[in-house]
Amino acid sequence: MITSIDLKEVLARSVGAHSDLVTRSTGAAVRSSIEAALGATPGEASVVLDFSSVRVLDCSCADEVVAKLLLRRPTGPGGPVWWFVIRGLSDVHAEEIDYVLRRQGLALVVEEEDGGIRLLGQVEPSAAAAWRVVLERGGADEGEVADALVLPAADARRALEALAGAGIVRRAGDRYQPLTSAA
Amino acid sequence: MTQVIDVPQRFDERSFDHFAAAFAGATEAARVLVDAHACEWASPSGLVGLLCAGQALAARGGPKPLLTVPSEYEVAHYWARAGFFAHAPEFFEVHGSVPRVKPNPERTVILEVTPVAVADDVHAVVGRIQERAATILTAELGLDPKATMGFGMALSEACQNIVEHAGTGGWVAVQTYNWRSLGRKVAVIAVADAGVGFRHTLEATQAKRFGEGWGDAVALETALIQGVSRFRDPGRGQGLAGIRRYLDRWKGKISIRSGTARIAITQDWDRDKDEPLRDDLPPFPGAQVVLVVPEAEREAR
Repeated sequence: MITSIDLKEVLARSVGAHSDLVTRSTGAAVRSSIEAALGATPGEASVVLDFSSVRVLDCSCADEVVAKLLLRRPTGPGGPVWWFVIRGLSDVHAEEIDYVLRRQGLALVVEEEDGGIRLLGQVEPSAAAAWRVVLERGGADEGEVADALVLPAADARRALEALAGAGIVRRAGDRYQPLTSAA
Repeated sequence: MTQVIDVPQRFDERSFDHFAAAFAGATEAARVLVDAHACEWASPSGLVGLLCAGQALAARGGPKPLLTVPSEYEVAHYWARAGFFAHAPEFFEVHGSVPRVKPNPERTVILEVTPVAVADDVHAVVGRIQERAATILTAELGLDPKATMGFGMALSEACQNIVEHAGTGGWVAVQTYNWRSLGRKVAVIAVADAGVGFRHTLEATQAKRFGEGWGDAVALETALIQGVSRFRDPGRGQGLAGIRRYLDRWKGKISIRSGTARIAITQDWDRDKDEPLRDDLPPFPGAQVVLVVPEAEREAR
């Protein structure tokens, strides 16, 4: 199931008439509201965080909303699993989010306005290369990644598992699927 | 006996130390007169710093300090337009003629002197400046429109230092004016409080690490340069780092004064460069943060 969450709407619902995603307490309230909404969803949920209506985003709020949401996301097994994709970021927002993710050793898939997809945050170069192969092929297994990047299979597996652990690809049997708002 | 604290003729972050020295010399028993009659110009940091002095004097108890209004009508009028006199009577017995001003926003005042104590105040401040800042930063300072969103972020983070750490309320003011040594306009965010200061905030988690070297200067360096916060959460301490990134991008400068120290990250354009770190200043309570964003260079516009 894909759930799209408009951050401006959550902001209005969580803290009232404010227009900007600023302050740590606001970020915590917005995150709690998102977690409560997703908590009612059993099983797996792909969540698109839509920032397109957000005007100002500060680092403290970005840390509370985005970084802590990733740090606290349930990953199974047996329980719910949440994956996050982000879209509607301005360059300035992207810079703030990239910084807070790196500071916490996290990463996230971002959809650009032109349909392009990229990663924000901290990803090892080998994992980033593996992610690119998975994305371009619409999914790949470790053998395909190893062939494409001329890597030993064990290194390809390590890179793919790092991506899956970070929540930026989804493992389905032997294959790894890219995350987008349509998947 | 009344003790006099003179407000410097040009009252900004550079002359603030003279003011702080006089402030530090005022004994608790005496009634204090903060004498601004000869002041000819005050930067936003001067105005919010004056309110901090009033706040700190009020916290001592005793009679309300006196404040004389600048005798030059234009100076007093500017202070009124900047919103200073809306808050001064809370801490001072104001003497002199305070000009009445229309509520119309002054063109060089992006944000009047505004109190900040809780997160809602930060939202209000960011919301209020956004439209006016967009016009001024792009049309008058020739900055890229992206600078406006970052300006709101920097303002928010600077104000949050009060909410998160000061232990008391503070003030913020945002103005544009000509930076004399630069020969160009600047936008200045001044945020100040008379709270506990950086050293006290970080003491419980950092003092042991530095031993006898611990003090105001090390606390400022730890917070601004190393991005250390009093919280163990690695997500904390990002506010000042975010401000630094914004100022790096738009060639801005930052200075923070707390206790007896001041730290500054300057740019080549600042010919009167602050020393990067000083630790021999007259003590003054709380923290005073000044962010300066310069007008774009002509060839870049």
